[in-house]
Amino acid sequence: MTRANFALLILIVIVASLPLFGGAYALRVGTLACMYAIFALSWNVVGGFAGYPSFATAASFGLGAYVTGILLNNGVPLPAALAGTFIALFLGAVALGAVLLRLRGHYFAIASLSLVEVFRELINNATDLTGGGMGLNIPLASSSGILADAMFFFYAMWGLLVLTALVVIVVSVSKLGFGLSCIRQNETAANMVGLNTTLYKSIAFGLSACFVGTAGGLYAAWVHYIDPSDVFDILYSVKPIVMALMGGLGSPLGVVCGAFLYLGLEEVVWRNYIQIHSGVLGVLIIVLLLFLPHGLISLRWAMVWRKVKHA
Amino acid sequence: MFHPRFGCVSASLLLALASFAVPSPASAEDVIRFGAPLPITGPLAPEAAAQQMGYNLWAEEANKAGGINVGGKKYKVEIVYGDYQSNTPRSVQITEQMITQDNVNFMFGPFGSGAAKAASTISEKYKVPTIAASASSSQVYDQNYKYLFGTFTPNDTLTTPLTGIIKAKAPDVKKVAILARNDLFPLAIAQEMEKSAKANGFEVVYFEKYAINTLDHSATLSQIKSLAPQWIFVTGYINDLLLIRKQMTDQQMKAPVVTMIAGPAYQTFIETAGQSAENISSASWWHPAEQYDGKDIFGKTSNFVKLFKAKYNSDPDYAQASAAASGALFQMAIEKAGSLDRDKVRDALASLDVMTFWGPVKFGSNGQINSLEPPVFQIQNAKPVVLYPDAIKQGEFKLGVN
Amino acid sequence: MLAVQVLINALVLGCLYACIAIGFSLVWGVLNVINLIHGSFIVLGAYLAWGAYQWAHISPWYALLFAAPLFFGFGYLLQRLLLNRVISAPVLVTLTLTFGLDLILNNAMIYYFKADYRKLTLSPPTGSISLFDVVVPVDRLIATASALALTGLLYLLLRRSKVGRAIVAVRLDRDAAVLMGVDVKSIYAVAFGLGAALAGCAGVLMALIFPISPLTSSAYLGKAFVVCVLGGLGSVSGALAGGLLLALVEGIGSVYLGPAHATTLSFVLLIVFLVARPQGLLGRKGFE
Repeated sequence: MTRANFALLILIVIVASLPLFGGAYALRVGTLACMYAIFALSWNVVGGFAGYPSFATAASFGLGAYVTGILLNNGVPLPAALAGTFIALFLGAVALGAVLLRLRGHYFAIASLSLVEVFRELINNATDLTGGGMGLNIPLASSSGILADAMFFFYAMWGLLVLTALVVIVVSVSKLGFGLSCIRQNETAANMVGLNTTLYKSIAFGLSACFVGTAGGLYAAWVHYIDPSDVFDILYSVKPIVMALMGGLGSPLGVVCGAFLYLGLEEVVWRNYIQIHSGVLGVLIIVLLLFLPHGLISLRWAMVWRKVKHA
Repeated sequence: MFHPRFGCVSASLLLALASFAVPSPASAEDVIRFGAPLPITGPLAPEAAAQQMGYNLWAEEANKAGGINVGGKKYKVEIVYGDYQSNTPRSVQITEQMITQDNVNFMFGPFGSGAAKAASTISEKYKVPTIAASASSSQVYDQNYKYLFGTFTPNDTLTTPLTGIIKAKAPDVKKVAILARNDLFPLAIAQEMEKSAKANGFEVVYFEKYAINTLDHSATLSQIKSLAPQWIFVTGYINDLLLIRKQMTDQQMKAPVVTMIAGPAYQTFIETAGQSAENISSASWWHPAEQYDGKDIFGKTSNFVKLFKAKYNSDPDYAQASAAASGALFQMAIEKAGSLDRDKVRDALASLDVMTFWGPVKFGSNGQINSLEPPVFQIQNAKPVVLYPDAIKQGEFKLGVN
Repeated sequence: MLAVQVLINALVLGCLYACIAIGFSLVWGVLNVINLIHGSFIVLGAYLAWGAYQWAHISPWYALLFAAPLFFGFGYLLQRLLLNRVISAPVLVTLTLTFGLDLILNNAMIYYFKADYRKLTLSPPTGSISLFDVVVPVDRLIATASALALTGLLYLLLRRSKVGRAIVAVRLDRDAAVLMGVDVKSIYAVAFGLGAALAGCAGVLMALIFPISPLTSSAYLGKAFVVCVLGGLGSVSGALAGGLLLALVEGIGSVYLGPAHATTLSFVLLIVFLVARPQGLLGRKGFE
């Protein structure tokens, strides 16, 4: 276990103490923070480890939300619904990945982006099953107090985050992770040395979808009402990429830090500059990409300190 | 080597914690705060503007009279607006923020059935009485919530009288084509229309939904044209209906009856569509020609119309009236309960059975009003003319939309 | 006859789609950059036409004349100063960068123009022509004709002028072009400027037919994507082929499957093409 991965786990444990600091609203933000971290970690598997720029996060999120929502509406208890979503999304993504990951670069990016559109419209039109444009109503899981409810969802999302982080860490030090790293560096060569690139890539794509989908399911249970344009929002695909870029592509600790940092910024900007908040996000992206292409984690704080001292 | 990561970790934690440091506003003494999340920006912005006008007029009138009488003491009205940018999850977030951080006493629901439904869960959790001023679909009220009330009657109260009139006044109409926006209210009311049409012996030759933000309807309209229906029924919001009407004109589509919901009631629609708005029929929940004599702060409908005209220089439409009515209903409930206690006010709302400028108000057990008799109207000479109910009828139905 | 009407609708719409996509296709084909600001450029062009008509009574055709150089300059500078820094970076970076730029431009437009839909209504209104039971609105016809004229102009530019041929050379083989003495950096900027100019002009034409609002930019971008993948990158004929195919599929799909499914169909088609024939109908196998 590298120091970075250890630090990641410590960070996650610290986050668990959030309820001590704030009330229901803080818990809401905390739940979102965990959700964003799950997105970033999951994206990192296919985008950072394997080097395939996937824009399909929103598709996994939306599908997960709807699968869980429909299951819950049919009386399936929450844990079973989430487990079902997890398996369904993993298998589905592996299958889809086998087809789509034959594309590279731009074409893969666009194909993954189109997935979001296709699934959104499919859900939109399956009115009898999903309510279509009228949205899906999910019953209140329990009528316990607000704080208890908020705590439940916070810890549920946090638990999912722990699971995601553990799996990602295990992948990063395993043969799968090593294979993905080879694929990222030179896929043709990896193929030639006998690596089953299709299998590895598909599994990576599957992993990038199952946790996000389960988070989507939790989200649906949390907000009680989802509709296609809300959960299949392209921004859910772009934000994890920005978080990963902010924190440092490829490094699990980096992307989680990026996720928390991004959420903090988003809350501050949205609270105070609501009219221009997407513009601010745009500026952030540009600054990041032009000046810090390897993310915060590449910043040498010692160098910055030295510069400041000599300024 | 540990330093960069440590720095990164601490930076992100600090910033995340910083977002929690929100100063809570000092709550003023003699003020009742009403939260009003609205889509002030985004595609539903025109609808939000209408609601704001209604709320502001009511707040102004209430404060002119010294405020709301709570058990002998007068409290001023303050409306707290929030912009959720026509994005439903944001409307939910803003609702929670208003309740937990802005210390509002009561809530107005966000615009439309979809967002109202989503946000109602929050107000139900926090037990804050909420009046939805623009949510008509019964799907909004089917969650057995106790704290949600709505001023629009269910969608079938619009489609039933409409179908009745067409059946009576236009006996040659046999085939109906229905085109609905794939969104909560427009689709729900289209489904009601289909039911109503079939129940009255019409043949529904076409029923399709179009995606939100569709720009080009030419293929759809060509197909409808080829089926030659005598009645074309389209649902959507103002922008969609204007676009579809224009493309209908482009394709030279004519029909004896064209009904559009929910745009023709608005002045913007009539002005922008110009000549092509002539003879388009529609239905809504209220019309300035109503002659109710209410016990609320506005009293007679004509008085409300007069005050609205004086402030905004235009006739009020049903959305603006509904917003003002929601405020007036809160006022009546608070005064009846004699307190600001949320449960007491909630009970007062549930037991209301009173005449207002908006119409007779009585909420059903699911919180939705069930006492209104929605008017059916038609645009004639660039004005909405009421065809039904008979008590306020202003003109006769005219056939033929070019 | 419904079939003929649908066909004519599709032909007209297809040319408009081609016009929307051609600038996007050029930038993608030559610079290998997916320009996500494209949709917002189109909307900005539409606002320009609307504003010119509203306040200065300048007819949209004259608006074309000054929209083109304006957008060209804007695009040229944008590429030279900003995008050029990341031109050789992996696709993730360029895609996200243009996404960020688009967020800024879109937000700025919403802030200044508000999200309300504006309509450029020509007075007197142009009406529609009816021939053998087929109706075509005149404003679309005019826009289509102008769109075809624009694409024709671009075609001539690429074939006949020195700059145009340099652009084509860079698209075919960047390294060979360098060896031939082409200043690739400035060609990149010219191509991007050209793409922006085409987007701006497309916007002016769109203003005649569709409502104008920053919210429509993603719809335009989506169409541009699909047209490029279907037709092939970097060429005028590709854009036309892709545009016509898309419009036909949407029109026929709308009649047989219902309008709700038309968009789904176009994106499914996109994925099918990406997997089966990534170079599109008329494109060459090239960049990854």
